[in-house]
Amino acid sequence: MNTSPKVLVVDDDEVVGRSFDRVLTQKGYAVSTALSGPEALNEISGKDFDVVFTDIKMPGMDGFEVTKRIKEKCPWTPVVIVTGYGTAANEATAEVLGVSGFVRKPLTPEMIEGITLKALHEKEAGEAAPQAAEAAVEPRPEVAETSVWKTIAGITKNTALLLAAPFVGLVYAVSLPFVGLGMLAWFGGRAVVRRYRSG
Amino acid sequence: MTRLYLNPLPVRIWHWINATGFVALIVTGVQIRYVGLIGLMSFETAVDLHNWIGFVVIGNYFIWLLFYLSTDKVKAYHPDLNPRKYFRETFRQILYYGAGIFKGAPNPHHPNPYNKFNPLQRMMYQIVMLLIVPLQFVTGLLLWDVKRFAGAVELLGGVRVVDTVHVLIFIFFAFFIFVHVYLGTLGHTATAHFKAMFTGYEDMEEEPGS
Repeated sequence: MNTSPKVLVVDDDEVVGRSFDRVLTQKGYAVSTALSGPEALNEISGKDFDVVFTDIKMPGMDGFEVTKRIKEKCPWTPVVIVTGYGTAANEATAEVLGVSGFVRKPLTPEMIEGITLKALHEKEAGEAAPQAAEAAVEPRPEVAETSVWKTIAGITKNTALLLAAPFVGLVYAVSLPFVGLGMLAWFGGRAVVRRYRSG
Repeated sequence: MTRLYLNPLPVRIWHWINATGFVALIVTGVQIRYVGLIGLMSFETAVDLHNWIGFVVIGNYFIWLLFYLSTDKVKAYHPDLNPRKYFRETFRQILYYGAGIFKGAPNPHHPNPYNKFNPLQRMMYQIVMLLIVPLQFVTGLLLWDVKRFAGAVELLGGVRVVDTVHVLIFIFFAFFIFVHVYLGTLGHTATAHFKAMFTGYEDMEEEPGS
């Protein structure tokens, strides 16, 4: 089973879908896109998504209707509204529908990643209360400070593992036939013993 | 259709320069080794081409290395330090290649940018990219100018030893390329992995109920 978090982006502007795709696939997410509400609902009926992003203004079915239908079918799926029409009235409507976030275009790659992580965390924590997603991407000073050390530690660890990798690989390659033969002997021996005991 | 961005641009550029370079090195290498048997070009031309392409491939390797050292995608080359998990997944993959693939069973490995190789690929690429390829570069460099590197050549046992190692690795790569291309055809379609190495995106198999 594919363990990558599944993200659906619903927007009649292909560029938006491509932006999400570009940013999130690099981070290990599996991104699907839909250009309209009906297409999105069709996608939703085929598989479970971990988070859905939808535009508001789309021909045929608007983002509110899409959100409503998704919430009826999969109430646990976080839906984030991504819009160029960030009016107070729209935000209030979105809140009523129980969205996990309401963000205004244009979005930077950091914002895309931030709101996705926030929505996924909310899903994991089972939080239902809708909140504005922008707060998630505000950098905090203490986080920035610790992230420098984390980066240094990460680079050191990465390099050490990279240097060790071929030797660990060689050990595995050499031991693979022996482990295989050992497993065959173990399971074969168990089968023989079981047969002997059963008569 | 779900797609994953598995092969970033620097990796794709490196891969295709490397592939072209390796084929050219094998062809010129064969010409140098079997000078009496093959007449594709003169010995001098073959040596010159082999040297120049060798330096291009060495430089290209550092593009690959610097890219991976500067990104967390280097995890794709990290060793699995849990032998139990490693062997379980490896034997699952061997069963797939040995039997499951012929019955249309799904591939047990589901790639993502941080774990794009199955356990067998991971083991092979760790050894090839981080040990055998650098070893071939070193032996190639020593043979390029034996006089300049006379001390190092002597330390390693003389020209014959260095040359033997270089040729043995060359034979390994000549076979590796065929196996690599064959395994490249084992995606969900025969051309899926090749397309992914041009576009960067790999189409993911949809599983029922996923």
